[in-house]
Amino acid sequence: MGLDYQLVLWNKHKKTYDKIIVLSMLLYIILFAVVTLVFNSETSIETLIIRAFGTLAIIMLHIILVIGPLCRLNSRFLPILYNRRHLGVSMFIAALIHGGFSIFQFHALGDVNPIYSIFTSNMDYGSLINFPFQVLGFLALLILFVMASTSHDFFLANLSAKVWKRLHMMVYFAYTLIIAHVFLGAFQQETSPFTIGVLILGFIVIASLHITTAFKERKIDRAKNEEKEGWLKVCNISEIDEDRAKIFTVDNERVAIFKYDRKLSAIHNVCKHQGGPLGEGKIIDGCITCPWHGYQYLPSNGQSPPPFTEKVSTYELKLEGTTVYINPKAFDEGTEVTPCKY
Amino acid sequence: MKKNEEFYVSYIEDSIGKHTKRALKRFAISSIVVIAASALVFSFSQKPFNNSTFELTSATKITGTFHENPYPMLRVEVAKKTFKNILLLGFGKSSANPFLDKLQNEVPDLNGKTLSIEGNLIYYNGKTLIQITDDEKVTLVNTKKVKGPEKETVSKMTLQGEIIDPKCYFGVMKPGKGKIHRSCAVRCISGGIPPVLATTDNNNISEYYLLTDLKGHRISDAILPFIGKPSEIKGIVEKMEDWYVMRINPQEIKVISETSNIY
Ligand code: HEM
Ligand code: FES
Repeated sequence: MGLDYQLVLWNKHKKTYDKIIVLSMLLYIILFAVVTLVFNSETSIETLIIRAFGTLAIIMLHIILVIGPLCRLNSRFLPILYNRRHLGVSMFIAALIHGGFSIFQFHALGDVNPIYSIFTSNMDYGSLINFPFQVLGFLALLILFVMASTSHDFFLANLSAKVWKRLHMMVYFAYTLIIAHVFLGAFQQETSPFTIGVLILGFIVIASLHITTAFKERKIDRAKNEEKEGWLKVCNISEIDEDRAKIFTVDNERVAIFKYDRKLSAIHNVCKHQGGPLGEGKIIDGCITCPWHGYQYLPSNGQSPPPFTEKVSTYELKLEGTTVYINPKAFDEGTEVTPCKY
Repeated sequence: MKKNEEFYVSYIEDSIGKHTKRALKRFAISSIVVIAASALVFSFSQKPFNNSTFELTSATKITGTFHENPYPMLRVEVAKKTFKNILLLGFGKSSANPFLDKLQNEVPDLNGKTLSIEGNLIYYNGKTLIQITDDEKVTLVNTKKVKGPEKETVSKMTLQGEIIDPKCYFGVMKPGKGKIHRSCAVRCISGGIPPVLATTDNNNISEYYLLTDLKGHRISDAILPFIGKPSEIKGIVEKMEDWYVMRINPQEIKVISETSNIY
């Protein structure tokens, strides 16, 4: 599907999704502004903007970070993942407004370049309580910028899924920087058990969801398969649902074994688009369909149907009675393998 | 993973199943609840702001005696025989001096001369400052030299407080002090805004001290590392009508570990 970057199309769900994002952001800003103007009316407009958008960005980041593990734990949430990109870009815009106003407010119209000032106006790099926290926010904003600007499928296609994925894993680094930015910055002065509590709670939720998911996936990776003359015993045929797959780890690679039309086929589990788990996909119109954005592959050769050109590795299977065996050696991507009939 | 018979594919019309739809709805509603709740938590948790004022959009014209001792001020008679010394500031994070240069080229010594200045007022807690944004708005009214304010020595003192930049503290920014504002205060003072020590005593009475070196000259770079941190400062305090001036040796400033109580 590399031919068509527009595969992730606009459709009516996506529009609803975007509407919810925009309205929620508006709701946040309006609530924050009204409460501040009514109960703390001596605020300045700049501070109001800086605080409203900074806190909005960090809340959105939390929501973004729980989507991944939620989808791994319950595939019904997958449609949220499908358009996470817009959520990411919107969060970046909120962070940019916060960072931009802060840079202007605190560093512009001075005797040095504002960016140089971020790094040099406070030189207490050796202290925790006096640490130049704005530097951390600035670095995080740079990472978010790189991620937002490469989020389009154009970059995905040109950077290769692996590089792209690694780039986007930096969101965890950005999250760490932002947490440090807030705890070493605003929380040193605007200390409130409630706001500190919100961020600690957020961290606990994000961390526990990720840990639960990791344990679950490790179970698949740790499962030992019995070996017999170069073949690995994987499961009984009845353990796989029709038009669906089961995922096994052989030779440190995850493999999806699909069952369809009284046939079995095995392909590498990792989608060429963004690395989605093909084994959680479904056979639709004779094609393995990725659960994340719907890229398709033919089960017998791991190739996307023309005109698309994606290819994944295939594996050889063997049946003894109702027991499924796999040859752990992968074939080259796109190699035709005769499906195992039963 | 929970068993899920439904399978949503974005490009297949109506592939979104009943359970998926319900899960999505639940997620959207939870997110909106989280968003609204956090907006309330974050907005209500802000500490009260003080009622300092910056008249960004309205200009005021003041007339009085110019003096530079060592920071440029205008001594304005606010009531019969009552004077207020209004601290002069430049645009942004800069000193007023560049905006006085033009006039100073024509009239070499402005000290004691009567000037009229139009700019944006900044005021809080009895102190007034003015931001000059245009050197055309500084005009000479009278070249006759008038006596400036007297300075009387009060005593040698050791004070605890925080060095602030008066422009932000007295009105431009909120909060204009402490860690959040520190970088900005460093920029301001480095740019020529006079450094001020703000103190608050146990009865919540605040005092403000313009800081100079021991000889009474301006200081800026030497105190940058101490700005926005609770500090203990030793020096000779002088009273200059409505302001205090404190002569200090910046090397003797001690950062203390207490939390700042200035307001
Ligand atoms: C150029 C980059 C940045 C700069 C210069 C910057 C600066 C600041 C400043 C000065 C504050 C204290 C404001 C106050 O309380 O009055 C602050 C607070 C905060 N920042 Fe940043 N920041 C940057 C990037 C970010 C990013 C990328 C995020 C998150 C996505 C973020 C999230 C926050 C949050 C949650 C707070 C605490 C709430 C608040 O006081 O606004 N900041 N930042
Ligand atoms: S379609 Fe996007 S990851 Fe598979």
